[in-house]
Amino acid sequence: MDPDEVEFLGEKQYVTIIPTFNSGVIHLISGDVGPFRASLPVRTPLWMAINLKQQQKCKIQQPDWMDVERLESIREDEKLSRTFTKMPNEHYMVIAKLLLGCASDDIPRADEIRTIIKDIWDIRMSKIRSSVDALVKNAGSYAAVDNLTVMEINSIRPILPHALDQLHRIKASRKRPGTQSLGTTTFVSSSNNRSSFPSTSFIS
Amino acid sequence: MNIDIDINFSDNLEASVDEDDEIQLTPAEAIALMEEAWINEKFAPEILPHKLELVECLLGQISYMEDNLRSLNSTDFKKIIHQLEVDRLRFLISSYLRTRLEKIETYVMPILDEENERIQQGVELYLTKQELKFAKDFAEDLQHHFDNITTTRLPREEWNQECVKPNIHSFVFLKSKEEVEGIVIDDGNDEDGDLVDLNRGSQMIISYKSVANLVKNGDVHLI
Repeated sequence: MDPDEVEFLGEKQYVTIIPTFNSGVIHLISGDVGPFRASLPVRTPLWMAINLKQQQKCKIQQPDWMDVERLESIREDEKLSRTFTKMPNEHYMVIAKLLLGCASDDIPRADEIRTIIKDIWDIRMSKIRSSVDALVKNAGSYAAVDNLTVMEINSIRPILPHALDQLHRIKASRKRPGTQSLGTTTFVSSSNNRSSFPSTSFIS
Repeated sequence: MNIDIDINFSDNLEASVDEDDEIQLTPAEAIALMEEAWINEKFAPEILPHKLELVECLLGQISYMEDNLRSLNSTDFKKIIHQLEVDRLRFLISSYLRTRLEKIETYVMPILDEENERIQQGVELYLTKQELKFAKDFAEDLQHHFDNITTTRLPREEWNQECVKPNIHSFVFLKSKEEVEGIVIDDGNDEDGDLVDLNRGSQMIISYKSVANLVKNGDVHLI
């Protein structure tokens, strides 16, 4: 999946903004938002908050978890834990990227926050890489991926599913009686059987 | 000028969502289901049962909203916000429909065969009427094309057997919406593999074949 599409999903999350204008309720298809009173906080979807921010019609309040102390403790937990800890938000990376991108003037200590979130991401990515390595070496047929966020899952796609697909093919050809014993020979054998059409390395 | 756009949601939706089950959805729930259908369709190797009711319901909401927007002054910031939301929904729906068309083009023969089987058995169809027509036309054109270019090189029986099939064993990520017990792990052979249980909210990477039914009945969704 395109990272932009993951972002699209994340933009549905609600954030709190402080509008600089007055307006009644906006009746969106996805639900009502507002009313807006200047300097009174109100919850809006992220995509709307970003649009209003770009028009300089609001300030965006950072989510509770986007705070240096809170993130530092998350980073320590992530370092100490062998498994993946639960992130404060399913789309933490998307939200952080978007808010720090367009509203860094509204967020105190934005640079520190950016660094810590990058650290957390890096720690988790290195865990992901070693888990993938272990999974493929053990030729696993399934694995739990609890607490991984969509963006993280997307970062190991397509390589992990494809690797497991190939393993699956090798296992299948090994176990099925009457076929060649090793997966690596399937291409050769299939082109022998159907000599006129060598480009059939599709799944058959 | 009227800037409050009010939509009577419940009336609209009740009529368009599955009449037998009388499911009542708020528009927000309909959008969430559409997003889920979009992601499922994106990652499932085979084509999934269509969601025509959902698509039509959301398209109805969009055109209702667009009618309303016409009366708004184009400098009104509310119009920009509404337009943005409409564009997001349009993207969602067209990406979903395009994914299905792409699958139909790639796997046209197996999809038509399976659909014909469903028609004969009288079970629920996976394609909408328009999609079925598109698939048939596409298959015909393809046939015609191959007949024209390959007669000298390739006998018809040869390429007819070599059509591309979806790899239903391919691995997918899923998130469980319900407790599910005893999923049989597809281990590459036909014997019964290990069993695995899913807790609500748990996530897993697994062969699509093991969970195809759960994706279709909505117990799990792909991520």
